[in-house]
Amino acid sequence: MAVTRERLTRALAPKVVAVIGDKKASGYNWLRSMKEFDGPVYSVQVDENEIPGIEELGIPNYKSLTDIPDQVDFAVCAVPRQVAPFIVQGCVEANVGGVTLFTSGFAETGEDIGVELQNKIFEIADPSGLALIGPNCMGLHVPGLGVRFNRDQPAGVQGNIGFVSQSGTHGMNFSLTGAAHGLYCSTLVSFGNGIILEAADYLEYLADDPQTEVIGMYIEGARDGQRLFKTLREVAAKKPVIIWKGGQTEGGGRAIRSHTASLASDQAIWEAMIKQVGAVAVHNLDEMIDVVKATLLTKRTQGNRLGLIAMTGGQSVVLTDAFEKAGWKVPTLSDESYAQLSEFFNIIGGSYRNPLDAAGTIGQDPKHLDTIFDILNADENIDAVGMELSATFMARRWQDKPEEFDRLIGSLKKFMAESGKPFLAALHPSHVEEAALTARMRLQEEGIATFPSFERAANALQKASRLAAV
Amino acid sequence: MTDVIAAARAANRTILSEVEAKQLLAEAGINVTETRLATSIDEAAAHAAELGYPVALKVVSDKITHKTDVGGVELGVADEDALRAACERIHERVTAAVDDPQAQGVSVQPMAEPGAEVILGITQDQQFGPVLMFGLGGVFVEVLKDVAFRIVPLEPRDAAEMVREIQGFPLLEGFRGQPAANLEAIESMLLQLSEFAEANPEIAELDLNPVFARPDGAIAVDARILLTSDS
Repeated sequence: MAVTRERLTRALAPKVVAVIGDKKASGYNWLRSMKEFDGPVYSVQVDENEIPGIEELGIPNYKSLTDIPDQVDFAVCAVPRQVAPFIVQGCVEANVGGVTLFTSGFAETGEDIGVELQNKIFEIADPSGLALIGPNCMGLHVPGLGVRFNRDQPAGVQGNIGFVSQSGTHGMNFSLTGAAHGLYCSTLVSFGNGIILEAADYLEYLADDPQTEVIGMYIEGARDGQRLFKTLREVAAKKPVIIWKGGQTEGGGRAIRSHTASLASDQAIWEAMIKQVGAVAVHNLDEMIDVVKATLLTKRTQGNRLGLIAMTGGQSVVLTDAFEKAGWKVPTLSDESYAQLSEFFNIIGGSYRNPLDAAGTIGQDPKHLDTIFDILNADENIDAVGMELSATFMARRWQDKPEEFDRLIGSLKKFMAESGKPFLAALHPSHVEEAALTARMRLQEEGIATFPSFERAANALQKASRLAAV
Repeated sequence: MTDVIAAARAANRTILSEVEAKQLLAEAGINVTETRLATSIDEAAAHAAELGYPVALKVVSDKITHKTDVGGVELGVADEDALRAACERIHERVTAAVDDPQAQGVSVQPMAEPGAEVILGITQDQQFGPVLMFGLGGVFVEVLKDVAFRIVPLEPRDAAEMVREIQGFPLLEGFRGQPAANLEAIESMLLQLSEFAEANPEIAELDLNPVFARPDGAIAVDARILLTSDS
């Protein structure tokens, strides 16, 4: 029986949560992670040795799911694998919306007993319509509701990124590292073996979820590739989708007779599929974060002509190299722009070619930056604007004179509000990394797309621009 | 349409001959050079007279996959005298190169007017099912692996994108005075192949190599089909 949307929504946006089988040895990780949950949390534990520790946390414990005097929407199950089928049976009887099975040791082990237990769980869950997540997964993270599987994950913040991950680690890392970049999930699911619900089910949910603006996915393989392909095609037409494919599947070892088959590597097929559905491919966590960030924080453009502002001549050169290598053009500005720039630009140690080598000019009068932005906004040769923010020169100064940094941020935000052109900034690490980090965090809080290198900025904007505006 | 496949299955073969492959493709409306099997030199001469000279002759044998490598191909055969001599040469070379070649005969086909050589193919992916490939022929596919893939079924947009995705695309647009290939013809052949792959799940692998992409259309001059081994 298919899992209904109503049942899936109960599981992924729960009002009542239960944790089954948490124990001291794990530091009560699951119960502690649910501390910020926006609703009642119950524990189910039969081990008398574990119950006092759970009650000390202030969480009511019951011996069975059916004893809980409340309708449980979402349960986390961390019991040994032999017990897991009984817990799933209990979830069915208690009409739980959905359960995530952290428990591992199933088909992924290749052992007969693991396969057998997994089949047993499937047979119990499938006819009931229970929204079963996993097994062998970290499950669900919904910061807006305080649903977490790791205590460092954010809570009490409504995010806008839907994330579907076949791997628990990569899902967790996205939520943690993403938060350090000011990026928060609407709903994140790590689905592991995906025996009942698989990637396509979560993608369909996120496509319809009003909180989700962009979707990221980490995937290693699909059980039903055609379904994933067709679902992605529909979902990517509604929202930007960014896909990180990990690992290589074995080719099956049959004798190959044709050029076509010999060239059809797993990677080639996945890259083609991702392109075909209108998603973009990324290859590691950093790139996932960069492209999600650019997709959320920069406007879309059909063009590829960039206006660049740098702080020194040397940076002008490599900034241009980085963007041109990623497929951007850094053209000359219009005659009108040059006429206007020549009126105030400090060309001793600077230049108003594109990139504009503008440190001296802005240093002379910070208002000049607003004028430069106005000129680039009006220039018909320019589709997007990028800027180097030099930590080397400025990070310590921003610490000493925060009003200067406030002023800079004001100028960037004014341009972003007034112009339809995408804007992004690069702030490299420097010798004053702590000051640079503080500055980068502040820029992120202000919603300014900031990247730690020119190359990452260029690549992120390039990939984001391939995604349809939604 | 499945007669060819059924016959191969009955004979316990998974490789279709060029003649069989082209028959299957022609029935699906895919533009291939008309290719007939001749089991004797006289029959070859009769086919050539009907199809019109010049013709190409290729050895037909289940044991031989790479016909050129064993001297099993004669191109641009101009008339009947040349055809008789060419058949003898193929026979001599193939029997010298292959131990008991079990040749059924030769295939006879008219020489197609050349154009840019491209390759179109089908393979089965474990996860996604049938997949289509497009690339330029010869060294571009074999050495540079300059090819594009798409999952079946293709939409018209997919066909247009995969043709333009390869690095060598400018060569199809008429590079250095070469005539430009008819891109629409390539795209419609890709869409036909997508339907062909969907309709024939028993096809494990297919190469149309080369397809001549000319200003006036596209035609497959060689075809190789391998059936799945499990049905």
